[in-house]
Amino acid sequence: MLSHVIFLGLFYTVLAVLSATLALSACRAARDFKARRVETICWQATFPDLPARERVCRHEFTGEFRHRTCDKAFDCRECQTHAALAAKRPQGAAPPAREVEVFGLDFPLDRFYHRGHAWAHPEPDGTVTVGLDALGARLVTEPEAIELPAVGTHVENNGAAWHVRKRGTRVRILSPVDGEVVATANSPNGWYLKVRPDGGYFDARHLLRGAEIRPWIAREMERLQAALAPAGQPPTMADGGVPMDDIAAGYPDADWDAVCSEFFLQI
Amino acid sequence: MPDADSQLMPRGVRRSTPRQFLLWILPWAALLAFGLYGAGLCLVKGLNQTHMDNRFAFGLWIFLDLTVIALGAGAFFTGFLLYILKKTELKAVINSAVVIGFICYSGAVAALLVDVGQPLRFWFTFWHPNVHSMLTEVTFCITCYLTVLLIEYVPIVLKNRKLRQIPSFLVFEFELHKLMPVLAGVGTFLSFFHQGSLGGLYGVLRGRPFAFREGFAIWPSTFFLFILSAAAAGPAFILLTTWLVSKISGKRLVRPEVLPLLGRISGILLLPYILLKSIDTLIWINSTSPARGFAAHQFYAWKPFGAWILFAEIVGFGLLPALILLRRRMRESTAWLVFAASLVCLGIALNRFVLTIQTLALPTLPFDPFLSYLPSWQETATFLAVVAYGVLVYSFSFRYLTLFPQEKDLSC
Repeated sequence: MLSHVIFLGLFYTVLAVLSATLALSACRAARDFKARRVETICWQATFPDLPARERVCRHEFTGEFRHRTCDKAFDCRECQTHAALAAKRPQGAAPPAREVEVFGLDFPLDRFYHRGHAWAHPEPDGTVTVGLDALGARLVTEPEAIELPAVGTHVENNGAAWHVRKRGTRVRILSPVDGEVVATANSPNGWYLKVRPDGGYFDARHLLRGAEIRPWIAREMERLQAALAPAGQPPTMADGGVPMDDIAAGYPDADWDAVCSEFFLQI
Repeated sequence: MPDADSQLMPRGVRRSTPRQFLLWILPWAALLAFGLYGAGLCLVKGLNQTHMDNRFAFGLWIFLDLTVIALGAGAFFTGFLLYILKKTELKAVINSAVVIGFICYSGAVAALLVDVGQPLRFWFTFWHPNVHSMLTEVTFCITCYLTVLLIEYVPIVLKNRKLRQIPSFLVFEFELHKLMPVLAGVGTFLSFFHQGSLGGLYGVLRGRPFAFREGFAIWPSTFFLFILSAAAAGPAFILLTTWLVSKISGKRLVRPEVLPLLGRISGILLLPYILLKSIDTLIWINSTSPARGFAAHQFYAWKPFGAWILFAEIVGFGLLPALILLRRRMRESTAWLVFAASLVCLGIALNRFVLTIQTLALPTLPFDPFLSYLPSWQETATFLAVVAYGVLVYSFSFRYLTLFPQEKDLSC
């Protein structure tokens, strides 16, 4: 009798563990929805699935590391290595140039850049203006549609800020800032969102700036050449030209879905 | 404009055109349909459609069950190594291992449903369990483990490119993934016991001295040998399937160090298995079998099952691949790796064949005839249906899900 109880007890214990595992996952998922952590979790679930070449640590651009893959989902605010390296950088150095030009693309240095090609510019009134950088803008020039969030929407850092449809591909642009949308503008050459940061303070430690921009964009241009090369062929050498205003128009046969996903960090 | 088919595929990887894929799956779908027809005949008309009878009750299907359950052990063992022992290199193949495990176990359960018959009464085994039967434990464990595999398969499906756009799916997947070590632990526990219990059956087959084994308490030696052999064969089967899929698709799927690692794991487990199997065979030859009134060589007098089977199983399909897999220089050669992994998988199939078909074919009494058995076309069709089902599920999974996370890094 005892052996029967042990045998059936084990079986039902296993069933109970399996049911509890599923129930716990469902409860935690519901709690995440309640706590508005959905965007953060979606990004955390997406990040490890990105190809390694897209998860390169920012300190590789500046030569501080030879090879390093980010393990903080591009949230340098959580990264002790970044904090240590940032502290070592010389303070009070001469102000850099006002703009960086890489392959004919202009990157003003009065703003911060997200790895998903959005920029964030802090305004005197405490809001942050968000737009697409020069490379991002040329990838989705003259979009078929732009889906902006409603005023009052809360956007999360690394969560979807707005969506753009280009050549049938729906691209989500990642937000560089946590906060509430206070204004929107449908202007591909200017800004898209004005966001009031959470807590009234814009923490930009996770965003690229200054001397990081040139090596980052140089690498992005290399990746762009590889992404636009025909299947099975290596990328061709750069010829010194600059990207067209509408890159998509110059590559009618390119898999634009794959290209946009690569540069806007989506799966 | 991206088409609907490519929108479902993982980003950053290339797959065959829809036309090529259709041409690939059509013959397998036809085979599945043919097999389902055969299985349907068995279910509707009964087991008279097979060439099994009351004397020869273990046929092709039980051989298939034991073999695929052993080969599917790669799922539990890889999960155990990755989530419990933190062997992170195996992340490269864990998704594929889970899909293979799911296919193997669901295929085995489907074949069992046809074999046992009366599928509408499947719940009887849970409601009226014969707790004295090892096979009841096997049924319980396999059902539970299939549930575990299904739960492990869900996150892989939910990470499909389209499905992941639904936030609730992705959040649920994220939370479920955090609990994977629990599932890996439960899977290991269940696999350990049902693999063992399948081997434990030979501790009660007193009327079959060819297969009967003694051991410790209620566990015969085959209890442990089944666990060890499945743990050794599982990684070898994953190695083999990964290489095969890579060849068929023409893609690099894993980094070069992954297949040798799988080979090494398989080799490390195979060597003690072969050692224990040899000791077990010697004990059986010198003690167990004579105690039952048979000299061991008598069992090998019935052709075609000569002593060559025993030699092939232990040396050709055991010791030889173990030695290959344990030599670093040989592991560095893909040809040797694949050759050795093929031998391991064939060896497991041969072992399960010996313990089912050969065991039942041999006479157990002086006046018993040597039985011969050839499966009917309905049995063969059902067998092939399981194979076709496996190929189809894997093909669709490979096309639309991320089975090899390193593929996108290796494809550029």
